Amino acid sequence: MEPVVELRGIVKVYPDGVRALDGVSLRLYPGRVHAVLGENGAGKTTLMRILYGEIKPTRGELLLDGRPARFRGTRDAIRRGIAMIYQHPRLVPTLTVWENVLLYFASAGVPEGEAEERLEEARRITGFDVPLDARVEDLPLGARQRAEILRSIAAGARVLILDEPTTNLTPQEFEGLARAIEGAKREGLAVAYITHRLPEVKAIADLVTVLRRGRVVASELDPRGASEEELARLMVGELPPRPSRSRGGPGDRVVLSIEGLRARGRMEVFVERLEVREGEVLGLAGVEGNGQEELVGAIVGYTPRLSGRVVVLGRVNPTPREYYRAGAAYIPGDRSKALVLHFSVAENLAFLRYAHEGPALLTFSRLARLYREVAGEYGIVAESPWAPAGSLSGGNQQKLLAASQLHMRPRFLLAVNPTRGLDVATTRYVRGLIARLADEGAGVMLVSSDLDEIIELSDRVAVISRGRITGILPAGKATPERIGLLMGGAA
Amino acid sequence: MTPLEAAIVGVLGLNAMVTIALTAMGEVIAERSGVVNIGLEGILLASAWLAVYADIATGSWLAGYLAGLAMGAALGLMHAAIAVYARGDQIIAGVGLNLAAAGGTTLGIRAVWGNYGQSPPVASRPPAFDVLGVRVSYMVPLTFLVAILAWWLLERTEWGLRVKAVGDDPRSADALGISVERTRLAATVLGAALAGVAGAYMSIDYLGSFVKLMSAGRGFIALAAVAFSGWDVLGALLGSIVFGLGDALSTYYTTIRGSSAAAYPYRTIPYILTLLAVSATAWRARMPRALGRPYKRE
Repeated sequence: MEPVVELRGIVKVYPDGVRALDGVSLRLYPGRVHAVLGENGAGKTTLMRILYGEIKPTRGELLLDGRPARFRGTRDAIRRGIAMIYQHPRLVPTLTVWENVLLYFASAGVPEGEAEERLEEARRITGFDVPLDARVEDLPLGARQRAEILRSIAAGARVLILDEPTTNLTPQEFEGLARAIEGAKREGLAVAYITHRLPEVKAIADLVTVLRRGRVVASELDPRGASEEELARLMVGELPPRPSRSRGGPGDRVVLSIEGLRARGRMEVFVERLEVREGEVLGLAGVEGNGQEELVGAIVGYTPRLSGRVVVLGRVNPTPREYYRAGAAYIPGDRSKALVLHFSVAENLAFLRYAHEGPALLTFSRLARLYREVAGEYGIVAESPWAPAGSLSGGNQQKLLAASQLHMRPRFLLAVNPTRGLDVATTRYVRGLIARLADEGAGVMLVSSDLDEIIELSDRVAVISRGRITGILPAGKATPERIGLLMGGAA
Repeated sequence: MTPLEAAIVGVLGLNAMVTIALTAMGEVIAERSGVVNIGLEGILLASAWLAVYADIATGSWLAGYLAGLAMGAALGLMHAAIAVYARGDQIIAGVGLNLAAAGGTTLGIRAVWGNYGQSPPVASRPPAFDVLGVRVSYMVPLTFLVAILAWWLLERTEWGLRVKAVGDDPRSADALGISVERTRLAATVLGAALAGVAGAYMSIDYLGSFVKLMSAGRGFIALAAVAFSGWDVLGALLGSIVFGLGDALSTYYTTIRGSSAAAYPYRTIPYILTLLAVSATAWRARMPRALGRPYKRE
């Protein structure tokens, strides 16, 4: 079969010298779903951004219908029928869906008069419907993604690139996506499906190409002929062992208790009752933006509590300072907000130490010693203690953040998406640290949008939807399906 | 104040409004695209100077207006090159433009007209009409027309949609196939060109000559009017009328009543209104979300 698109020997060196792609080739065929599998940082997204004309390759060629093509920008790619659905929706939030569609149609060269008719056709193909008059920012992320797919197909796309499309979806929404992809296949679209999740590859792909560190390690495999274990090995090389919980069961002491808490940030959350005991991990699952941020803020003390009580290690409604001084730790979801990236590694450790222990006279030699202790224990790789934290790789930054919290031997840990954006090895390492902390008797609340992570580590799983806890399941009953239903708001 | 005096103050206010309104509406367009230009004061001065120079050299007021427009557009192009393509700091670029224009035009008076204060009267003044014995430029009605056009451009055309897209979320705009750079460049040049016309109006039309540092803060007042408007051209027009009236009232008290003590409060009221408007949180929410931030793809 003739490919619609072929990328040949693509090399991409970013301005900062990072070699993201090193001679990658990929072919996309009409009516086939080609999965591009790889870890974070393997170069998948870079490859797709090149195909979409957003960035230019350092070397290599792009062939469209067998003829060389050169894109000066995304507009050229859109015009030639290439559509990209980014991991996080790229619609202008302040405009309506319809206005976004019009802008895209203008780029694609679709006459405005045909817009309605084309959208109707795309609705039929995908089974998606989205409110065109809604402002984008009022829509949940899943609906924004559906709007993007709908308008891409309406604009006559021949190639549909989906970059980690399930990041912001519930398991139920995934089924809708799979049906839309089926529809697109029947229409003869070539689909590139970017992911690091193996079950999705097995469920959806006709072909799979595996990338590791900017190189192709396996090309156009049949996913039915390869086991998940094989694919995983191709993707990451050697796999470190999964962390295991000894699950000694929770102790008697309650380290976090929440009663009748009402708090408001960007949205309002209300939690009737929630407890974490020593020695247990309570997972909090939910689609992002359903009140996790507000609940976490209300526990640590930076989101105003309107009513009710939060008790952390005996401290009632603590301020952030009291929270840390009580012996509690916090790994926030966004590490760029928890670390001062242009300050040195050692200085960052000093800040975090200060939060837990209060003021002390710090000398360079004491800072260096603190750094050596922590870096040694947690395997942090930095040029020196005085290198800026921002110069560390994402994985090392996350280790630094986790280390700075765990080094204090907290009795309660609140961790938010502690492994987001990390490779498999570092992910397992960080999860191992959390498991060990709980096994040693601390209580942990794990807030994560990664269901696998929640299920792997938790003794109990609470699910949050629209600012309410919709259910609490013991580990044995916390299957992705049941959690998914609760995430969608079903009681 | 008699009703006649009040009417005259109103007419004076409209004359004073034009410079601020054209500048502010131009800046609304630029800022909606995400580019802030605090060099408006400099553009007003430079284009006012060049307009007088061209007017005297050619004997044509039209040449004066065209020169002002060209100067504005050229300085806008320079600002866009720094802000959009070189991804420089927009505030610093604007400050530089203000300082350079203040020095350059002052030097220009000395170099061309041989004194340190002002130019001779222009050779040709644009036609005007009389209202209550006050000279009113045709630019007054034209400014209202420009406001309607600018509103239509931003709110009713695809180009306007593109401008708002790159000003609120350049990454998404890029993914929608819009060239962030070209759209911002166009909006910045258009905005600065309007300020150039405003500068020409100020010298050859409103006053009839160029006076050292004659813009006297009107570029900054226009920036205040932009904030006051909540980034809306019609709001900017309204704000400019308020500022123009404040200006006219203070002129009325100094020249007709001979009391400069009463003049200052009237000049101050528009600023207090702006402060109140801008400090309202609902107002800040209207600010273009990527205002002042360069867009970097990789």
